[in-house]
Amino acid sequence: MNEEVYTVALKSALTEIKRVCPDISSAFILMNDGTIVAGDEQAVDSSLEKAASSLQSLVEKAASVGGLDNLVIDGEKGKVYVSCVNGMYSVMALSKHADLSHLRTVTGVILPTILKVLDSITSETTPPTPLKPAPFVPPAQFRPAPSEPLLEEEEEKIEETVEEAIETPEPLEVAEGETEVEPEIEAEFEDEVESPRQLTDLPSQQLIVDKFGGFMVRPDTVQLDFEVLQRWSSLLDVKEINEVDIETFRGKTTRCKAKVISDQKLEGRGLIRIPEKTCEALELKRGELVRVKPVVPEE
Amino acid sequence: MPVKKKIPEVETTGQVEWAPKAEVKEQVTDLRMVLDRVKAKEGVIGYILRASTSAAVDIKDPSKIIDYAVLSTSALESGESLSETFGLGKVSNIIVEGKDLKVLSLTIGEHRVSVFMEKNVDHNSIYKELT
Repeated sequence: MNEEVYTVALKSALTEIKRVCPDISSAFILMNDGTIVAGDEQAVDSSLEKAASSLQSLVEKAASVGGLDNLVIDGEKGKVYVSCVNGMYSVMALSKHADLSHLRTVTGVILPTILKVLDSITSETTPPTPLKPAPFVPPAQFRPAPSEPLLEEEEEKIEETVEEAIETPEPLEVAEGETEVEPEIEAEFEDEVESPRQLTDLPSQQLIVDKFGGFMVRPDTVQLDFEVLQRWSSLLDVKEINEVDIETFRGKTTRCKAKVISDQKLEGRGLIRIPEKTCEALELKRGELVRVKPVVPEE
Repeated sequence: MPVKKKIPEVETTGQVEWAPKAEVKEQVTDLRMVLDRVKAKEGVIGYILRASTSAAVDIKDPSKIIDYAVLSTSALESGESLSETFGLGKVSNIIVEGKDLKVLSLTIGEHRVSVFMEKNVDHNSIYKELT
């Protein structure tokens, strides 16, 4: 079965759903690779592609809540309902007072049935086509920081503003047992000695941003606690950590050289000192949290 | 007898445009109080409140803060993008339902709020409480 047949079948399914639910004004199906498989009368234009790409980005980020199941956007003039069906996402624009529960029922029956029939036909005739829905694999899942100061049991309630974060930064307290690598993690690292380590397998830490500048400051070099760098190098079994990857709240990332914090007063406070220019590029402000991961030097 | 000319009444507002906005801080405090009340409810995991220059985060599992913050930003951006595509007008709220949790995201004034909760929590009542 080729792509065209798949598209036609899905298009028919959408038409039928629209017939049952007249509240739907527009609809399309988004594959997990970002392809818009079936659209109705609406042309697949740049705005639709932009929306699809933004939705795909949300699907990736939703890994933190177990993967995207449903999405409802309630606007002044209408709603958008997105639901996950066999790894695909049906996107439907609805009128303001549309009955969502009815739509959920209809979508939850028609689309999976059509897909099941298509899949069964496909498996009987030819090998699976590239369009066959595959389980969604979320990108870069990060492992929680091995020694996180915020994880202390006493600090269940975390509440911070930018000012508070800078005024009362809490020193990094590494519990005695935390520096030791857990057996499972250790085993993972041993397995990966020969292959280049993936970003997802590296330890990470959330640190508070502190800006610094000056005439001789290199914009590509950040400063971290000696303790943090040392812990990473022992965890990863490397001589030293020379580079780190920084990820911001807004999802921006960059790679910088890493050095130990030069100002001793700022040591042990869970800070990462980032040059002003780099902060500007990452749209970072002093006191914000970033996730920092070590980069394993290639040998 | 001279006719008394009626002077039209000028409508006065509490805040002139050029004056510093004193209400903003008050609004944040109120919102924080409501969010703290919401956070205390059963099944609510936490919230992220963001303004242009500050942010308040209260999440039960601190290791998830960045993941949730990125998701919150992405949800609001996708909401705006899809609303633009389908001509929905101003977005009042966005519900992202995952396999494990759900998130209610909305914009109140210049503040962007995301409340994370278990799937069985009634997000409509939380939305009403916030707005």
